[in-house]
Amino acid sequence: MPKNKKTKSIAFCPGCGHIIILQTLNRVLQKLQKADRAAIGLDIGCSLLAWDMLPISTFQTHHGRAVPTMVGFEKAREKSIAVAYTGDGGAYSIGLQSLLWAARRNNPILVIVVNNTIYGMTGGQTAPTSLRGQVTDTAPAGHDELPMLGPELVRELNGQAYIARTAANEPVILAEYLERAIKATEAGNFALVEVLSYCPTNWRMKGVESNNHLNKLKDTFKTGEIL
Amino acid sequence: MHIKILLAGDGGQGIQSLSGIICRAAFANGLFVSHIPNYGLEQRGGVSLAYVQISDREVSYPKFSDPDLLLIMSEQASQRTREYRAKSGKVIDFTKYEKIISENKIDYSSRNIFFLGLITKVLVIRGFMEKDCVFEALKEKLAKKSNWENNIKAFETGFQIGV
Amino acid sequence: MKNKREFLSGSDVVVRAVRDAGAVSMYGYPITPGTEILSKWIREAARDKRMKYLQTEDEIAAGFAVAGAVLAGEKSFTATAGPGTILMQDALSMAEGMRLPFVAIIVQRGGPSSGTVIYSQQEVVLATHGGNGEGMRIVYSPSSLTELYDMTRRAFNDAARYRFPALVLTDGYLVKTKQVISNFKKIKNIPAPKIVSRTGHVNLRNIFTVEEELNEEILRAQKDYVKMSKTIAKSESYLVADADTIIIAHGIVGRVARDAVDKLRARGLRVGLWRPLTLAPLDVRGFAKTRRAKNFVVAESSAGQLADLLKNRISNCPNFSTYFRPALGIETDEIVKFVMKKYAKK
Repeated sequence: MPKNKKTKSIAFCPGCGHIIILQTLNRVLQKLQKADRAAIGLDIGCSLLAWDMLPISTFQTHHGRAVPTMVGFEKAREKSIAVAYTGDGGAYSIGLQSLLWAARRNNPILVIVVNNTIYGMTGGQTAPTSLRGQVTDTAPAGHDELPMLGPELVRELNGQAYIARTAANEPVILAEYLERAIKATEAGNFALVEVLSYCPTNWRMKGVESNNHLNKLKDTFKTGEIL
Repeated sequence: MHIKILLAGDGGQGIQSLSGIICRAAFANGLFVSHIPNYGLEQRGGVSLAYVQISDREVSYPKFSDPDLLLIMSEQASQRTREYRAKSGKVIDFTKYEKIISENKIDYSSRNIFFLGLITKVLVIRGFMEKDCVFEALKEKLAKKSNWENNIKAFETGFQIGV
Repeated sequence: MKNKREFLSGSDVVVRAVRDAGAVSMYGYPITPGTEILSKWIREAARDKRMKYLQTEDEIAAGFAVAGAVLAGEKSFTATAGPGTILMQDALSMAEGMRLPFVAIIVQRGGPSSGTVIYSQQEVVLATHGGNGEGMRIVYSPSSLTELYDMTRRAFNDAARYRFPALVLTDGYLVKTKQVISNFKKIKNIPAPKIVSRTGHVNLRNIFTVEEELNEEILRAQKDYVKMSKTIAKSESYLVADADTIIIAHGIVGRVARDAVDKLRARGLRVGLWRPLTLAPLDVRGFAKTRRAKNFVVAESSAGQLADLLKNRISNCPNFSTYFRPALGIETDEIVKFVMKKYAKK
């Protein structure tokens, strides 16, 4: 695989949640002194832009395939911290089957789902977590389904996994949950942390409005550890 | 007669709006027009390119590497179109117009319209269309926006100056 | 249809064509550069309640939903690209095996893997022979917006009449190009076959117990395919009668190659173009028109998928030189330079 030495600083949109989430993941791994044992598999969506962002081994996979890739990676390298970093589409739409199976099998990987309720990179189509009534590129009259609650669904399949949901505007809690999740995988369990995130570009919002919207999402997507 | 115009800028600088107005004007003038955009993967912040061709005959292929007119609106765009410079006819480089733009108090969001003025002058001189044709297309797209007065000023200033 | 001058993009033209063809439903998954076809169909559906659609969970589901719709007698289609084309092979293979009138628009982008979201001609193999069958598909390669319209219309008719999956193999450049277009051909629509009848019942399978049964089924299908080929295999021969050198190209590269032929002729070289309009079935008889020529050049935005197809399908295929540009667009002057360098007398 060609190594690209010329990397841009940050490729994400201004105000994107990915930046905070990835930086928090990095801080946690550095703090635990486990960054050199970690590997991050990325979905193909906006998450792919993180491929050269962090001083941690990172590789793109395919859309919906970060989870099965990290299942294989972890099995090949059992002392690693295998992280599947994906959006809501990669996790709950095209990749749902693999996610449920990794949970069912209790594969000791950490899945981070960045949930911004929209397909960002392809220009704002409906996501499995889009809200009822949300206007998107493929639901111009408003979406007519209820959003998928991924962590809750996964909990049905696995009682011992570490499962939590937080938000990009709660970085301290995010760091705490990620640390616990990593420890859970080291103890041999599946871990899922969903992080509600901003997409100012496709939400067509900026700054305060975008943060208010993020907080409003918490009415639908309950934050906290899911027991 | 045939002209190849490559417009390049950062996403958000209005490259696609600009090309839309030019295409609209050419179409209204009964000419053949071809347009294809090119973006990076990022939704924001990447380079936005528009390949525009205006002709009296059907256009075979949307892309070209030898623009008659190359507009560069940002540093990033300049990097991205490095290889086109040698093969370009006229190059409109934003750095050469910073002074004029600030002297005429053209605001940031109207800069693309300033360059529209410049490009229109070229199209008029080369006989592709009349100034009004472009102005009509501009009006259709932007007259209802709050920035209209600034846009008129930007257009007129650009047209006056020409390349 | 009145000859009204319009400024339309490839995706606009596809949606116009599928609607004119009488398509009722579209199933798809967002993937650049094909997503606009789905979102534009959905926008039209807001104004026409007969139009159905669903953004499915992935391309596999989209493909099988189209298969389901056509089994129920509805004109249905999907549009996909790159990695999506790979996933679509599952449903396409079923359509091949069960003789379903399945229509798909394939918008080629760079490969392998996620490649680019932009352009290539690297899905020729996938389109013509991507499944686990014998590649009994109909594949068109449009070189212009007009052809994109015609071939999309044709895809529905040919799929309905001959019952093989029909694919319009276009690319990210053509689908995103906006041009002035005014002459949409008037074509009569063939109605969708009612496969699962509403009265009585049918029993259909795609798996067989013994080898002999499957072999017989394949031979039956092949007979139909060969018979169909005589009618629908098409190609364009431009200035080939007296040509020393023939350029072979498809899709938008075919259009560029045609301009290259004109430029080369202006320089005194006797060059012609042979352009397949259908990649499957290939117009092998049409190719025979080029036999007088001494030199052949295959130009494509891939590392030889068209070249390989020609070698496979044309018996006594002549040797050709190749201008391969995998995942890159090809401009007229590139082909002119290449031919001049190779074949112009010093």
